[in-house]
Amino acid sequence: MEVDVKALKRDWAGIEFDVVEVEGKTQDFLDFAEACGETESRFVDPEDADFQAPSTFTSRFVGRRMFPDRFPKIGDGFGFDAGKCVFAHAPFRPGDVLTASSKIHDIYEKTGRSGPMVFIVHRMEFVNQTGVLVSVVDWRMVQQPERKR
Amino acid sequence: MILDLHNHSIKSDDGRAKVENYCQWIRKRELPIDGFALTEHRLFDDEADYRKLEDEFGVAILKGSEVETDYGHVLVFGVNEDLLAAFDFSRVDLPLSLVLESAQRCGAVAVPCHPGRTRVGLCAHIEEHGPVDGVKIIETLNGGSREREDQQAMELAQCYDYGGIGGSDAHIVSHVGRCATRFANEIRNEQDLVGALRSGDFEAVSWK
Repeated sequence: MEVDVKALKRDWAGIEFDVVEVEGKTQDFLDFAEACGETESRFVDPEDADFQAPSTFTSRFVGRRMFPDRFPKIGDGFGFDAGKCVFAHAPFRPGDVLTASSKIHDIYEKTGRSGPMVFIVHRMEFVNQTGVLVSVVDWRMVQQPERKR
Repeated sequence: MILDLHNHSIKSDDGRAKVENYCQWIRKRELPIDGFALTEHRLFDDEADYRKLEDEFGVAILKGSEVETDYGHVLVFGVNEDLLAAFDFSRVDLPLSLVLESAQRCGAVAVPCHPGRTRVGLCAHIEEHGPVDGVKIIETLNGGSREREDQQAMELAQCYDYGGIGGSDAHIVSHVGRCATRFANEIRNEQDLVGALRSGDFEAVSWK
């Protein structure tokens, strides 16, 4: 299966296709901090004046859809997760309500031991109720055009 | 002088190492290398200037690229404006002949890397399509290769009388310095590196 990655990127990158809201809850922050092995007071002590979610907390959220409607299917396989990258811009505090919008940020290809791969970078941007950008999460997904199920 | 000629920083999409952290690791572990080359995937990092890090840590930091061709992945050293104009570094299907010819013409050197690796190495493609004119050097020691893959690369070099270089193919800090290339003379910049590679006076070394 031939994939025109440049055309795919031209047609789909930058289009916002999903918006959800998430609320910051103290217990969720504490659970996440414990799971990550955080020890810093600002992440594990709700009494700390600077208490906030751990920096990678927003990586736990997903939108309602992974791709825009009618986004072309690449290959026969399901693809696989190629990792997440979190850019922490501002604190996420208990009670904050973040608006998370999703878009395809980038599409690129590379070749590897397992053959050609198309990387789709799904970006979620989290903005708080005052309009401040709190976090950006890039989630890379790999699709293999030649892979058969 | 010993240089690790194949490494990726966070400028590569799959690189997880900052250049400064490579320098810190080399110093902390007292690795027996004098410097390293950054060979980012499908791009040349024209902007970064690592002279301050070079001075601070006493290591040479050179810049190259790793491009993708119809015969597998290829390291390019001595990238300049002419070479950047000669082909699109971001493509994954560059004709190897174009990369080799352009490098030669523009004062650079192209080196097929991890030749023994399935799908993205030179060996499999030579078996299928035959040898390519213009290859003079290959990467015979690669830090990320499996044992059999390096062996295949060395056999290929012997068969076609290619020179062999070594590079770690590091994507994380602790992988730098696993393989490298020993040169007879000092190399201060990319032009020196091209000259040394063209002279043939070098050998691949490994600490894997």
